[in-house]
Amino acid sequence: MISVVVKQLIGLFVDDELLAAAILCAVGLISALALSGAAPGWLVGLMLAVALPAALAASVWRSAWRGTRESAG
Amino acid sequence: MPSLTTIISVAGASFAASFVEAVEALTIVLAVGLARGWRPALTGAAAALAALALIVAALGPLLGAVPIRALQFVVGVLLLLFGLRWLRKAILRAIGVIALHDEDAAFAREMRELAEAERRRANEFDWIAGAAAFKAVLLEGIEVVFIVIAVGAARGLLGLASVGALAACVAVAAIGAAIHRPLARVPENGLKFAVGVMLSAFGLFWTGESLGVAWPGGDAAILAFIALFLAVALGLVALLKPRAAALA
Repeated sequence: MISVVVKQLIGLFVDDELLAAAILCAVGLISALALSGAAPGWLVGLMLAVALPAALAASVWRSAWRGTRESAG
Repeated sequence: MPSLTTIISVAGASFAASFVEAVEALTIVLAVGLARGWRPALTGAAAALAALALIVAALGPLLGAVPIRALQFVVGVLLLLFGLRWLRKAILRAIGVIALHDEDAAFAREMRELAEAERRRANEFDWIAGAAAFKAVLLEGIEVVFIVIAVGAARGLLGLASVGALAACVAVAAIGAAIHRPLARVPENGLKFAVGVMLSAFGLFWTGESLGVAWPGGDAAILAFIALFLAVALGLVALLKPRAAALA
C-alpha cells in the first residue's frame, strides 16, 4: 500500500516526464540567470511567461500528434 | 493586506480544485459503501481523515519556519508541475486524445473489483473495502492539503484557502449523502481545465516573485497569467481538435 501511495504522490506532479523535465529545466536555468544577476527582473519574468506556456504547448502538441490513447486518471 | 483579486483567486482556486478531488474520493467511498456496507467505507474514510489531520498537524508548524522566498519558490515550482499536468490532461481530454474521466465508470469499476474481492475472501473481516476507502480519501485528501498549502501559504492566506477547501468537501459530502450516487453530472473536465489554468498562473506568479520579479500591477498580474494560460490552452484545443478528430 505504501509503494502505491508513494507512486500516486509522485504521479500528482509527474505525468508526462518530458513536460516535468522541461518545467524543471526552464525554472532551473532562469533561476540561475536571476540569482547570478545575469538577467534583470523584467527579463526573468518575461522568460518564465514565455517558457512555461511553451513547455505546455510542446507537450500537448507531442501527445496529440502521436495520437496516444492515454488512460484517463 | 491582500488585494480582493488575491482573496477571490485563492478562495476560488482552493474551492474548485478541492471540489474535483472530493468528487473523486466520494465516488470510491460510495462504491465501497454500496458494495460492501457502510461500516468499512466510513471507517476507512474516517481513518484517512485522521491520518490527514496528523499530517497537517505535523507539517503545519514547519511552514512558519521556512523563509517566505524559499516557500514561494518551492510552492511555485510544485504548482507549475501540478497545474500544468492538470491543464495538459484537460486539453488532451477536450481534443479527444484521452478519454474523459467518467465518475459512473469509475464507480462501476470499483464496485466490480470489490465484488470480485468479496467472492475470494467471503469469511474475512472487510479490510479490503476499508483499505479502498482509506486509500481514496487519503490520496485525494493529500491533494487537497497540497492545494490549500500551495495557493494559501505564499501569501499568508492558509485560513482562507482552508475555508474554500472545507466548503467544497462539505458540499460534495452533503450532495453525496443526499443522492447516494456518483456526481457524474459535474463538468469535471471543465473544472479541471479551469483549475489547471489557475494553479499554473499562481505557480508562474510565485516562482517569479521568489526570484525577485516585480510583476507589473502586483497581485493583479495573476489575472494576466490566468488569461495567458487560458488563451494558450484554448488555442491548442482549437488548433488540435480537428486534427485529433481526423485521426480518430
